[in-house]
Amino acid sequence: MDGVLIPTLVSGLLLGSLYALMASGLSLVWSTLGVFNFAHGALMTLGAYFAWTVSEQLGWGLGAGFVAGIAAAVVGGVLIELLLVRPFYGNRAMLLVTVMTTLAASTIIERSISIIWGPRLKQLPRVIEGQVSIFGAPISSHEAMIILLAPVVLAALWWYTSKTRSGRSLRAVGQNQDSAALVGIDVPRTFSLAFGLSAALAGLTGILLGSIRFVTPGLGADPLTNAMIVVIFGGLGSLGATAGAAYVIGMLEALLILWLGLYWTPSVVFLALIMILIFRPNGLFGRAS
Amino acid sequence: MTRNHLISALAALIVLLLIPFVVEDSYTRHVFIIAFIYATVAVSWDLSLGFAGLFNFGHLAFFGIGVYTAAILSSTLELSPWIAILAGGVTSAVAALLIALPVARLKGIYVVLVTFAFGQLCMQVVLSQSQWTGGAAGMVRLPYLTIGEYSFIRDFKFAYYYVALFILTAAIVTLLLIARSPFGKSLRAVRDNPDYAAARGISVARQRVMVLVASSVFTGIVGGFYGIYLRVASPEVFGFGVGTLVLSMVLIGGTGTILGPAFAALALTFATEAMVGFRGMEEARFIIVAAAMIIVLRMAPGGAIDVIGRLGLAASSATKPLEKGKT
Amino acid sequence: MSTLLTVRGLQAGYGGVPVLRGIDIYLDTGEAIGLFGPNGHGKTTLLRVISGLLRPTAGSVTFDGSDISHAKPSAIVAAGLVHAQQGNTMFSDMGVEETLQLAAFTPRARDGWKDRLTEVHTLFPRLAERRKQLARTLSGGERQMLSIGCALMCAPRLLILDEPTLGLSPRLKGELRDAIGIIAAKGVPLVVVEQDVEFLLALTNRLYLVEQGEVGHEIDRAHAPNHQEIMNMYFGEQAH
Repeated sequence: MDGVLIPTLVSGLLLGSLYALMASGLSLVWSTLGVFNFAHGALMTLGAYFAWTVSEQLGWGLGAGFVAGIAAAVVGGVLIELLLVRPFYGNRAMLLVTVMTTLAASTIIERSISIIWGPRLKQLPRVIEGQVSIFGAPISSHEAMIILLAPVVLAALWWYTSKTRSGRSLRAVGQNQDSAALVGIDVPRTFSLAFGLSAALAGLTGILLGSIRFVTPGLGADPLTNAMIVVIFGGLGSLGATAGAAYVIGMLEALLILWLGLYWTPSVVFLALIMILIFRPNGLFGRAS
Repeated sequence: MTRNHLISALAALIVLLLIPFVVEDSYTRHVFIIAFIYATVAVSWDLSLGFAGLFNFGHLAFFGIGVYTAAILSSTLELSPWIAILAGGVTSAVAALLIALPVARLKGIYVVLVTFAFGQLCMQVVLSQSQWTGGAAGMVRLPYLTIGEYSFIRDFKFAYYYVALFILTAAIVTLLLIARSPFGKSLRAVRDNPDYAAARGISVARQRVMVLVASSVFTGIVGGFYGIYLRVASPEVFGFGVGTLVLSMVLIGGTGTILGPAFAALALTFATEAMVGFRGMEEARFIIVAAAMIIVLRMAPGGAIDVIGRLGLAASSATKPLEKGKT
Repeated sequence: MSTLLTVRGLQAGYGGVPVLRGIDIYLDTGEAIGLFGPNGHGKTTLLRVISGLLRPTAGSVTFDGSDISHAKPSAIVAAGLVHAQQGNTMFSDMGVEETLQLAAFTPRARDGWKDRLTEVHTLFPRLAERRKQLARTLSGGERQMLSIGCALMCAPRLLILDEPTLGLSPRLKGELRDAIGIIAAKGVPLVVVEQDVEFLLALTNRLYLVEQGEVGHEIDRAHAPNHQEIMNMYFGEQAH
């Protein structure tokens, strides 16, 4: 058992890191706007494709690819906020309507990508080539980098939202829009900021995924579901809750794959989710409203 | 549901009954059949989403479950396709029961997320259990319908047309009856005023379970029919493409009306099929439908938005406070 | 003496229901005015229109010469018109010190914020004591102090206080009123909504009785009626 445990834990750490990256953007938009962005996965895909075009097709290297991909995702995110979310502020049904408009946006983005780039599989290069060993478990350097990167990104987000003026304004708007407006915070602009930042995170995640998995128009579909499960587990609350939930689920999934195999794991994770919601309808870490 | 609506619906039904005598080409009949299938899914979705105000985003899973039930029963287990189709309704109902149990007590966004994740889960299961489902490749050459010596694939879709129309009509009639029943009235009352339930001692949880099951039955049956008709079962039925299309039918047709989505389904199916003819428009039609959905949501001053607005009240307990007036 | 704030013929409401029916008030520089009157007659609505949270359907609001009737709330705060809402919980999951620092958000307010924070701490020592606490763990009185403290951090050129002592114990009411008196003494133009007319008379130059979404009476301190007359006015009006 010992021989498999370490690689499983490392695998769980990787999954948790990926999930944390995937879910943080979603959580940010939810806590600031009270909106669930169903196009979050599509923005990951968008980032991956732009990165691929700049990095591989134009041959300008992965660094430029990162910039292009993240920029493209940010533009996408801001457009979504402006056109598909902002018109519905104050609408009693804002939640449901924005679910539908962002779902539509997701379709538009993914199908457009399919038309423009074609459905054939593409791949992004890894950030670092080679392999390393963590406690005897072999893992690609790229994946090891992701394991290190995720906490850094999360810490940066935490620092941004706790210590900087604009980051604090995001939290303020999420907690009390009127009070935020009355201390001089431009609320609509803050919404755009939240979406843009969330999209940047999505783009980054998409690019990182693009070398572990294939770059296809459906790249963002599974991550969206995973991110969704994470934020539900975490209780749709703070970034901390989301991060915690991400790692818990990552570990859980790795262990389940070890014990039950790949086939049954998604079902069991889902079942666990349902169980949690039955006993704690506000998620694992969520607070009852 | 005014008398005028019913009259136009009856008139439409009579016209539709006569169509196959006037239209002989296989392709046009095919478009009608697809339209009837989508319409059945849409009107069923309208029961849970529009009428009861339940944010069920896993509705298409019922369809897919129907497809695969029929496929597996008829192909692998070699049961009669007719039984397989009906079985689709049964398995969907069971699935609805299973998902309704947790959903019954959840609020607002959680209903959306859990039902959506449920749909994704179904796709995962289908993809991973490939020895039963054919995995990503799906299942092909499913048995076709026959009645005695009469084979359904030799008559240019004449008989299939009527079966599809029959399923749609049965669904609409059943759903309308449910809508007008005391149960239906209490559904609407709870949707419009959540406190009503508490005041009258109505179990919202039990209502949700019943609504979800009711919305799943015909969806599952018509899913089975879809699989048998096309003789193919593919995991794509669980994807966003069909889902967005049907959702737009519900929205454009008018939520909570039952009949509206049926008309919208006919219109949209013909509109999108017309686009498929052009090269390169395959993907584009999904984009156009999605854009149309957004436009309807943006523009409808009353209509779709207004009913949705009332849905918002039913689910508002767990959502964030909304800003009224100017931001 | 110039006019700092002018509200002319203002009409506004919620969801088609009119609340303000053409209300007129004004405030000169160096003045403090008070608003009082029965609940639900438009005082809070008036303040929300002035500070930009609600769009008026007719009429105008002018601040320091500029028409702000349709301006964004953030722009209005940036210009120096600051509104401390009634019964406000501010930001429940943010700390006291964090909130006060954040309140110095606009460029104008950022200038010299450290000094202003010291002033707020001097005025409300309890906010200094509880600087790390989350807003939702504060008592009612402390939350009011935080609300007013934040308003001060915005560097107001005109400060609007909506029922600052609502629901507080008599002792806390006194504490807050003293603090407001100090703020007034520093020369910050004030618009204060309060139920206690005597407090308003002591604090402000003029009072408006707001009823049915309009000004029912304007009272000048120089010609202040006595207590009995005020009561008659107040309750007598209500007997219509």
